[in-house]
Amino acid sequence: MYDFLSGHALYIVLTIVLICWFGIFFYLYTLDRKISRIEKQLGNMS
Amino acid sequence: MLKIVLGIWLTIVIVVAFAFPIVPQPQQWFEYPVIPGLEEKARILFFHVPMSWTTVVAFFVSMIYGIRYLKTKNLRDDMRSVSSAGLGLMFCVLATVTGSVWAKFNWGSFWNWDPRETSIFILLLIYGAYFALRSALEDEAKRATLAAVYAIIAGVTVPFFIFVMPRIMASLHPEPIVNTEGKVHMNATMLIVFLSSLAGFTALFAWMLQLRIRLARLEQHYYQKEN
Repeated sequence: MYDFLSGHALYIVLTIVLICWFGIFFYLYTLDRKISRIEKQLGNMS
Repeated sequence: MLKIVLGIWLTIVIVVAFAFPIVPQPQQWFEYPVIPGLEEKARILFFHVPMSWTTVVAFFVSMIYGIRYLKTKNLRDDMRSVSSAGLGLMFCVLATVTGSVWAKFNWGSFWNWDPRETSIFILLLIYGAYFALRSALEDEAKRATLAAVYAIIAGVTVPFFIFVMPRIMASLHPEPIVNTEGKVHMNATMLIVFLSSLAGFTALFAWMLQLRIRLARLEQHYYQKEN
């Protein structure tokens, strides 16, 4: 893996972009879960 | 509608960041110049730097809402301040991880205690402590006041750690692109893509902040209904 990435610098940048998007996606996913939980709790109340 | 525009904007930024070739003497409008020592890895500029930039914007917004809270004592400002600090911390982690991956292939090790690495590590600790402080206090008003004061003090340190400290100490960080001389060694295409990426990620932060604030309001509404 390390040897492959060392020889193909473009894939290092691709890895970095994927890390950025995975991090942002994970944050949005946790937000979505929190919203679903609150909606469920509010739904149970009414 | 704006979300769709933002999605298209960032997609275009990613495509042109990868698709345009890096050549020694750019002749065409779609070519990037070779940055000595970086070559293909120079493309990280379009992603790693906006992560750090968004971190600064988020911590700054957190500080502004901290000041507003102290003026108005409105808990909604505290909610905005903490939401922005949370997003800033996330972008700070992403900037650290992406920089670390890049460092492994350019400097040979994931962590080198370079001035920029050290300063971002200190920022992570400062904002980690901000959330520890918040979780340690039960009383809402007291927590908001202390957190606002902390956010202001922490916000003041951000420009020092991000912009000043790495420039006054010897650093391994690549300087030929955005450097201490104040000259930008990019051609027009590279600069446009770079600035478009900065604008795109700043807009992404604004949208995510809006989502986070809406969620915090919903939570507040739920707890008010419950009590």
